[in-house]
Amino acid sequence: MDVDPRLVPLLEHPAIWRGRSAARIGVVSTGFAALDAHLPGGGWPQVGLVELLVPRLGVGELYLLLPALARLTAQLPPRWCAFIGAPLPLNAPALAAHGVTLPQVLVARTAAPLWGCEQALRSGACAVVLSWIERVQPRALRRLQLAAERGRTLGVLFRALSLRTEREPSSAVLRLAVEPTAAGMRIHVIKSRGGLRGALDLPLDPGGEYS
Amino acid sequence: MSLHEKARRGARPLQPAVQRPLAPLTVRPRGAPAAAPAPSRELWLAAHVPQLTPAADAAQEHAPESAPELLVRLALLAQRFTPKVSLVPPDGLLLEVKGSVRLYGGLAALYRRFRDDCSAAGARAHLALAPTALAALAGARSGRTFRVLEEARLIGALAPLPVTVLRWPAPLIERLQRVGVRTLGEVLRLPRAGFARRFGVQPLAALDRLVGRGADLRQSFRAPEQFCARHSFLYELESLDSIVRALGSLLAKLADFLRRRQCGITRLECRLTHAHAPATVCVLELVAPAANAQRLTALLSERMSGLALPEPVRAAELSCTELAPLEPQAGALWQPGEHGGGTCPESTDLIERLRVRLGAEAVYGLAIAASHRPEAASICAPIRPAGRARKSAVDSPPWGRLRRPLWLLESPEPLTESDGLPWRDGPLHLKSEPERIESGWWEAGGEAARDYYRAVDAQGVRLWIYREREPPHRWFLHGVFG
Repeated sequence: MDVDPRLVPLLEHPAIWRGRSAARIGVVSTGFAALDAHLPGGGWPQVGLVELLVPRLGVGELYLLLPALARLTAQLPPRWCAFIGAPLPLNAPALAAHGVTLPQVLVARTAAPLWGCEQALRSGACAVVLSWIERVQPRALRRLQLAAERGRTLGVLFRALSLRTEREPSSAVLRLAVEPTAAGMRIHVIKSRGGLRGALDLPLDPGGEYS
Repeated sequence: MSLHEKARRGARPLQPAVQRPLAPLTVRPRGAPAAAPAPSRELWLAAHVPQLTPAADAAQEHAPESAPELLVRLALLAQRFTPKVSLVPPDGLLLEVKGSVRLYGGLAALYRRFRDDCSAAGARAHLALAPTALAALAGARSGRTFRVLEEARLIGALAPLPVTVLRWPAPLIERLQRVGVRTLGEVLRLPRAGFARRFGVQPLAALDRLVGRGADLRQSFRAPEQFCARHSFLYELESLDSIVRALGSLLAKLADFLRRRQCGITRLECRLTHAHAPATVCVLELVAPAANAQRLTALLSERMSGLALPEPVRAAELSCTELAPLEPQAGALWQPGEHGGGTCPESTDLIERLRVRLGAEAVYGLAIAASHRPEAASICAPIRPAGRARKSAVDSPPWGRLRRPLWLLESPEPLTESDGLPWRDGPLHLKSEPERIESGWWEAGGEAARDYYRAVDAQGVRLWIYREREPPHRWFLHGVFG
């Protein structure tokens, strides 16, 4: 398609999403080359909501994020890495061993994480907010996405994978479903603004040789 | 206006303790008033509270801020006798009582009343009277009866006291004792020039203050300020929104009070009074001192949103007892966290919001403790809004990259067993060699003797399980790899 050359810089604005063109968004590398190649921009977006749908807790979903958390907590100016409503107590030595800067970690224990998640996303004090939310309305997801844009924060929601959640509309920038396999895990890209859809296998062995 | 006039007109934080004509043959310290027309001699009442004396380092100088609570309580009591009260932390208190003697019907009556006040406050204090502050203090510390009203008798009364009552540094006392000087009389008899050369000018100046040859400047005690304001509503209020709105005037008053003192608060208490039910108390704890009315209103309304009121509210009372110096916001060259740059304002704001709603203990940070036991190695740390902290040695564990799970159960969960293998909704497959952890015998109930394995369950979840080494060799689930 021929575009007026004067229009090109205008169309490269990150807020404009044009179909399959790789969106020019700030990203942080996932730490896995195969996954980077599959995601728009080559990594997790630095701003916006990412949904990770997992069948059960502990299939390796947090290991998927650890390299990015290590990078984000090492950035200047320092911003928090917030865990809101985590289902179990976090183990500090394991986080530190994967390069996460512990003084940047903030944990909030709550039974209703939606409010805390929105506050953390909106405040602008966090680089990344991880939250475990069981049930969430599409409207609330939209709210979280707007809060993330306002606070310029990456929000990661861990949700239970089911046929219903997989099909419901979502305003998240990226939706991934994670499934454990014998060799590691299989990642289905359900929704991605300007990226590829489909599945890929990652040879990730949580707590094993590759972790 | 000359300096002297200024000093006489009041509002002076420091009071010269001794203003008497100088003895003709003494060397006057530089800066002391030349032959001041002494208005009236002073009389100092000193109280020494032995129960506050630190045991080991008696000679250590303490900053006035670190005055113990009991001493501050005594100082507040003492303010009824005279406005000139000063603290000598950690265990001394000085009152200039010359002007109050008549008011209280004689020195003996005043002395007795102050002694009774002290014992009522729970302090066993030694009291002493002397014309100079330091002499009174020395007399009180000596523990003997020391009541000297005339200056002529002062040196004679001081002479038998040991040198240690001056609380000079230990090496200095030791050197004095080595030359055979043990009492104040012997110190005062030493030649001035030689004393200054051998022991320094400062001890000599202290001796001058002791006998009233030099001016003794003391910071007077100021009672800590607090804020308390009450507002009775015209009619009973039920909704929290209207209560918060009605509190606006109190909060504005508080902000005004704080602004005038350049202070902030870290704790605010709000009492809501009802007609019959006991008052509802709502406490706001802040991470950093705050003085802004809007911010306090927002936090207070957030805090109150979780409140259940038993009855409509008739009156509200705001109080805060501790003021903290406010750090004004200034544009910094460095970004927050960079080279000791300031804190990020959003970050304190976020922590406070979360704390106010979820409770102070629900928001925390993480830290590593140097321990081999997994449950003791990960600890909840108080959260610091001050940007990046320095990397501590324990942040990089000395035992290297051991394979530890990201989730650790609060207490290990017992697993059922079938055919000698652990079972959790299906058989668990062990994926690793055992890692033996045996530690913690020094703590009651903390002893651990375990063999840890990584295991995978039927759904592909990676677990961290262990088997006790002691019989009955039960299996436990202790962690989940993320």
